[in-house]
Amino acid sequence: MKYYLKLSGILLLICVAASGTLAFVNKKTAPIIQGIAAREEKAAMLFVLPQTKTFSKQTAGDFTYFLAKDAEDIVVGYVFIASEYGYSSDVKTVVGLKKDFSINSIKIISQAETPGLGANCEKRQWQDQFADKKFSQIAVEKDGGQIVSITGSTITSRAISNSISKGIKLLEEAVVQEGGNK
Amino acid sequence: MSIKESLLKGFVKENPVFVMALGLCPTLAVSSSLSNSLGMGLASMSVLLGSNVIISLIKNWIPAKVRIPCYIVVIASFVSVIDMVMHAFVPALHKSLGLFIPLIVVNCLILGRAEAFASKNGVFDSFIDALSMGLGFTFALSVLGIIRELLGAGKILGFQVMPDAYQPMLIAILAPGAFITLGFIMGFINLLKKKEQ
Repeated sequence: MKYYLKLSGILLLICVAASGTLAFVNKKTAPIIQGIAAREEKAAMLFVLPQTKTFSKQTAGDFTYFLAKDAEDIVVGYVFIASEYGYSSDVKTVVGLKKDFSINSIKIISQAETPGLGANCEKRQWQDQFADKKFSQIAVEKDGGQIVSITGSTITSRAISNSISKGIKLLEEAVVQEGGNK
Repeated sequence: MSIKESLLKGFVKENPVFVMALGLCPTLAVSSSLSNSLGMGLASMSVLLGSNVIISLIKNWIPAKVRIPCYIVVIASFVSVIDMVMHAFVPALHKSLGLFIPLIVVNCLILGRAEAFASKNGVFDSFIDALSMGLGFTFALSVLGIIRELLGAGKILGFQVMPDAYQPMLIAILAPGAFITLGFIMGFINLLKKKEQ
């Protein structure tokens, strides 16, 4: 009995020391990592709606979106961040919409899908097909939409398409409630 | 063995990839370009240095029955530390290596050295062993990376080195190219060894 206690005691000690070290390193690096993520998000938002001068954050219930205005303070579109679990990770996409709620451009900012399959969603060639699509068209072809899936990665493609169409629906409702945002 | 000999053994005689065939999964997966190879090699070497030193320090307190879980905890902690540090300071490289950094935990090279060397030798020797094996691993990855990037993209470290007329052999940077290149290098090393005898 004493022997087994010793075994688990030592393992426990090592685990405690390891978690302590990890907590320390995490505390030091987390703010830097967050800073990088925030910068990337800003860059991605400018990428999907390049003519924008300012982004103002809006919330409607649980939904957050950004109202994009150009240099003359005229609304040029909307940006939101769609996120849904794909095949092995949360896929986060920045979506830029024109004023008529059709897509201007999208950019996937974080994913850890299967390399060589789902990870191909990072390719511009695939993402560019979302341009000018409207709410009703955004679904993979298997689900009756117009988005061509990545070969061998229907789950990833479906997660991205669904997260975007869900976001557009919420956005439209939010904008209508706000009175069309002038 | 002198220090110089133990340092050099990782490069050719006991090269972890070309001779011992350890850690082939990350080797084949990330060696598609020289910068990826260097990043992965150095990350693995840092983990190896940390785990070898710590394991040789605590080897006398660890009962033989729970040694493997203990080693794995030590190795996994170092991998997580490297993962976070790389994410914070070299985000671009971290992104391109992606999933393969957390997978260093299961690189058999690292557990292999812990079990075969660090658990039986002193701190200094284990440090030298980790350095030698780590550099050997980085060296092997870099050789693969240079060949594959040169053939598959006509570049080295992202700079165009082949003439414009060169048509890149795409297969070299895809998975089959890794197997083919590694096979040729292993064959070449075996040939050298045979000649030596």
